[in-house]
Amino acid sequence: MEKATTTKWRWGVHRWFVLLFIILGYFAARAYPPIRPHVQLAPERLTEHPIVLPVIGEFYLTNTLVATFLVDIILLIIVWVVYRAVQKGELVLGGFAGAMEALLEGIYNMTESAAGKWARAIFPFFATITLMVLVSNWMELIPGVDSIGWLEHSAHGGEAAQEIAPGVWALVKAAGEEAHGEGYMVVPWVRVASTDLNFTVALALISVFMTQVIGVKAQGAHYFTKFWNTKNLFTVPVFGAIDFGVGLLELISEFSKILSFSFRLFGNIFAGSVMLFVIGSLVPVFAQSLVLLLEFFVGVIQALVFGMLTMIFMAQATQGHGEAHEGAHG
Amino acid sequence: MEGNIIEAAKLIGAGLAMIGALGGGIGIGLSAHGAVQGIARNPDAAGQVQTNMILGIAFAEAVAIYCLVVALLILFVF
Repeated sequence: MEKATTTKWRWGVHRWFVLLFIILGYFAARAYPPIRPHVQLAPERLTEHPIVLPVIGEFYLTNTLVATFLVDIILLIIVWVVYRAVQKGELVLGGFAGAMEALLEGIYNMTESAAGKWARAIFPFFATITLMVLVSNWMELIPGVDSIGWLEHSAHGGEAAQEIAPGVWALVKAAGEEAHGEGYMVVPWVRVASTDLNFTVALALISVFMTQVIGVKAQGAHYFTKFWNTKNLFTVPVFGAIDFGVGLLELISEFSKILSFSFRLFGNIFAGSVMLFVIGSLVPVFAQSLVLLLEFFVGVIQALVFGMLTMIFMAQATQGHGEAHEGAHG
Repeated sequence: MEGNIIEAAKLIGAGLAMIGALGGGIGIGLSAHGAVQGIARNPDAAGQVQTNMILGIAFAEAVAIYCLVVALLILFVF
């Protein structure tokens, strides 16, 4: 900021855009008062009948599934952009590809400092989970996600609908008594994938299962002595039994990892989007921008935490029981 | 205005469930306290301390998030 004073003061363009949007937002909120959307924990179904696929079986096309496909497409576009930049043969990548390089290099260095020679096996999981969860979390910041979709008639609750353009309807606040009777609600086409427990549980299962696989790869069958520790059970009088009990507790903690992984991501992002709904309907003009900033931050932190915890657990699984103590101090 | 005792009990229950977030808040505060002290004494270790602090915060926060999930379940599912 000290340096900025030496350059000539100029009135930028972007700040006027911000001011314009604040004023426009005020008038838009006056014209169409925002209403609190219907909050539902389970993802909404977009198709009436289940889709049948040969291997997977029956499933419904839900709006979080659409979001997952969108996340995949965005990641593939990122891959394509970076691939094009690498193909050009420049030594220093610029722009978006350079940012991706910096991110992945940071992730790789973090993995290497924790896992040592196993970094090459662990890095793909860390990077994939972080990128996927990051893109998925940031999707809730896009306008239109969670708010554009089919209009559905509901018998209990809901708001009145009004045609604002040919074929386009908007929910408006019903006057007085009608709000508690019949009404309409919006079934959004896209809902953030992280607000679906199926997505987070799937990621948590992959993470915990591959932790066991990497542990067996690193230590062979010796890995399972972590859970079934009978080494000292009959030779050392009391502490052998304690070691055996600790091994069983390790087994339980392995299952509770699935629970905590999935609920941490789900709870954070679902609560974030509910907060966006509520703040947006209570204070529609300026406060939501601050909440959007907070959600931007929470999205990064949760993606990093999910990936980093996966990496730490995998790194711990590659170290044996005896080595773990030396590794903790060294 | 007709009273609906189940609705009222739901709202009270969701509010009570969030009391558990107290523990998560205390835990996060303690871990940040320790990390800042550690960084102040040894600024070179800031990177490592920060990584471990974020991990600790994630574990402490998990309990508060369980409370949040229970409250959300009470509000929107049952």
